[in-house]
Amino acid sequence: MINVAVTNKILLKISTALVSILGSLILVFFIIYLLPGDPVLSMLDPATATPEMVENLRKELGLNQPLYVQFTEYFTNVLHGDFGQSLVNSEPVLPKILEHFPATLALTIASAVLSVGIGVTFGVLSAIYRNKWIDFIARLIGLFGISMPTFWSGILLILIFSIYLNWFPAMGSDGWVTLVLPSLSLGFVGAGLIIRMVRNSMLEVINEQFIITLRAKGLSERVVMYRHALRNALIPAITIIGLNIGELMAGTVVIETVFSRQGIGRIVADAIMAKDLPVIQGVVFFSAIVYVIVNFLVDISYSIIDPRVRKSN
Amino acid sequence: MAVLLLLSGCANSTSTKSNSDETNEKVNSQPKHGGELTYALATSPDSLDPHRSGLAVAVRAFRTIFDSLVVQEPDNSIKPWLATEWTVSEDGKSYTFKLRQDVTFHDGTPFNADAVKYSFDRIINPKTQARNSVALLRPYESSEVLDEYTIKINLSTPSAAFLSNLSQAMLGIVSPSAAEKYGDQFGKNPVGTGPYKFVSWTENADIVVEKNNDYQWGPSIVENKAAPYLDKITFKIIPEEATRIGSVQSGQVLAAETVPPQNIVSLKGDPKNQLLQVNTIGLPYTLFFNQRKEPWNDVRARKAVQLAVDVDAIVKTLYLNTYSRAWSPLTPGILGYDKSLENSNSVDLEKANKLLDELGYVKGEDGIRAKDGKKLTLNYVDGTPNREKRNDIAVIIQQQLKKIGIKVEINITKDIASVVQKNADYDLYGNSQVNSDPNSLRAFYHTTTPQEEAIIKRLGGGSDPELDQLLEEGTVESDPAKRADIYQKVQQKIIDEAWIIPIYVFPYTVAATKSVNGIKFDPLGYPLFNDVTIK
Repeated sequence: MINVAVTNKILLKISTALVSILGSLILVFFIIYLLPGDPVLSMLDPATATPEMVENLRKELGLNQPLYVQFTEYFTNVLHGDFGQSLVNSEPVLPKILEHFPATLALTIASAVLSVGIGVTFGVLSAIYRNKWIDFIARLIGLFGISMPTFWSGILLILIFSIYLNWFPAMGSDGWVTLVLPSLSLGFVGAGLIIRMVRNSMLEVINEQFIITLRAKGLSERVVMYRHALRNALIPAITIIGLNIGELMAGTVVIETVFSRQGIGRIVADAIMAKDLPVIQGVVFFSAIVYVIVNFLVDISYSIIDPRVRKSN
Repeated sequence: MAVLLLLSGCANSTSTKSNSDETNEKVNSQPKHGGELTYALATSPDSLDPHRSGLAVAVRAFRTIFDSLVVQEPDNSIKPWLATEWTVSEDGKSYTFKLRQDVTFHDGTPFNADAVKYSFDRIINPKTQARNSVALLRPYESSEVLDEYTIKINLSTPSAAFLSNLSQAMLGIVSPSAAEKYGDQFGKNPVGTGPYKFVSWTENADIVVEKNNDYQWGPSIVENKAAPYLDKITFKIIPEEATRIGSVQSGQVLAAETVPPQNIVSLKGDPKNQLLQVNTIGLPYTLFFNQRKEPWNDVRARKAVQLAVDVDAIVKTLYLNTYSRAWSPLTPGILGYDKSLENSNSVDLEKANKLLDELGYVKGEDGIRAKDGKKLTLNYVDGTPNREKRNDIAVIIQQQLKKIGIKVEINITKDIASVVQKNADYDLYGNSQVNSDPNSLRAFYHTTTPQEEAIIKRLGGGSDPELDQLLEEGTVESDPAKRADIYQKVQQKIIDEAWIIPIYVFPYTVAATKSVNGIKFDPLGYPLFNDVTIK
């Protein structure tokens, strides 16, 4: 019975995921038409462009064809794994994204690990030692994490750890040393949220009946806190962590630029500067797919970890 | 006698000593060979194909790989480079170049008239999707190979800017065999005849070039005509300015371009680092009035604004005196720049107020002028908010124009394509351009036809038959002195009739550690690495 329910649920999730991916594909295609301004005009230099050049570029982009033709073509191409070519240097878009994705993935994972590590540790400590000095430090870190923009904390980290102390390189993407500063500044944002989340749910759990019962049974405070309270408090945190991975991916656009790292965030930032539409569309669509997949995995793991969710279906 | 001997001995010995000192010094002053220069670029190049690139930052990298037919000296005269000499036909429509015979491309392809013809035909071929190079090459029509090392280039109309344009890196000569082999991926595999050979390009990380040992044909603007001293150059791509400048200060790179004003000031007193600064030439950062709209079609309204905007204050406040103020539609250093315009204009609020009174605009209770119930507002559009504090210029001007009763509405938008180019929905908008020839004024100040206007609205949109005629004469006049005269008239007319407000000349700045020597700049402000050594 339970197995059938879980399978049904997974199937439902898969179809929702597919619909989301299709939706984002349609949205990405219509970016050109939703944005104000003529993409062709914005790609050319007004001082040197001639009407003839404008027409040539329009033809080259296929923008002179009816909308449904353009969309069918784009759709079939994407199904074949062809995301088009960069307008700037004629490079195919998908291989370019795949080449740069590992760097973004490494940064995202490192930041996620840091934010979970810092977030859960300080969240738990601040709940257990409520209103003690460690609680204040944890809440301060949480506040900083949430309110500091990543580009600012990034530059601050560079100033301190790269220029003054010379401990870590300020830029580049070769090796784990170059991951430290960027994943710290990105991880702090997530850490801030997780600290608050874990602290609040820990405090809630601590006051629940079953904890009092456990204490009454004579279990040590350590076992009560870490084996029972924390486990229950982590469930809402997992949702936040899942959502956070999407945020982290978006954050890489800024962080990869600040730290001169390679990655798809940099690609899209450069493509926006150069008005390179196929690349922008490609990266946005690719990120949408990754985001949908991550959320799918979080949903699944969520229902596996928490028996209440499993049964509620 | 003994004394004499002794004296002469002494004399001899001292002279020998000073001789050996000299040789020592000579040995010491011999440039040190070897080493690697790391040079941080502010943005990613789009392509290393000189014919397809549209970005100045790309030129900084591929100028090391490609040579041009001619070179422009700082005094704007044109000197030989890959071409040894040339003649121009009577009608100014064909150029015959004799080429160097000792040049080979990095891939071993011999350099000859065929290669030149191939390069230029490639630019005008729509398949190449050339961007800026095609505008520079115009009015190119065809090339004829007269013999292996002689080529005749035909233009459709005479162009006095043609030779100067040929000196630009975007018209550099590419290896025909490599261009054929790599097709539209030539930009990732560039092959030229330059002092450095392309090694690798890791996107968003770095571009590496290495010394071309066979190089013997350096242009007259560098001292070292032979192979460069450096083994290689790594151009690192570091967009964030704090990271870029920080990387020089912490020694992770040896040089970095585009230094923000506050760092310029601090680097000037830095014992470990040096600051190199060169003004770019072309059109300075200029605010253009939209003369299609009232009241800016009236010279008095434009003049009033021109008299009320305190450009000195803007440049001093925002750029801490590290940028120089612009006075003309052209920058200093370009052919025909009119120095007499400098200090010709000063702030005069009284006169500005009088002009607006004349136009019938009366100050209301709120201090803003109005006419027929309509307030005098100026729609200031800016499309590059993060660049060189340009949005702050708008804010200062807003304050300054308040004093004469003009309300400035600042509209910061990324969508210049529709706001400015398509709808011309602005009163004041700023732009700048790097260019080696005053003919670049034509694209901005010559009257446009209704057909051209229908597709792209050029900046300003003013129309003046006399100015049109001068700009047309300037394009074809072959005598530099006469050309300079023509362009001086053009500049005076544009300023007298207040078509624009010139703001600042953009300096190209490089921060480098003191161990780097010999970075030079061409007249456009692009760095040259032929003479660079590292201590």
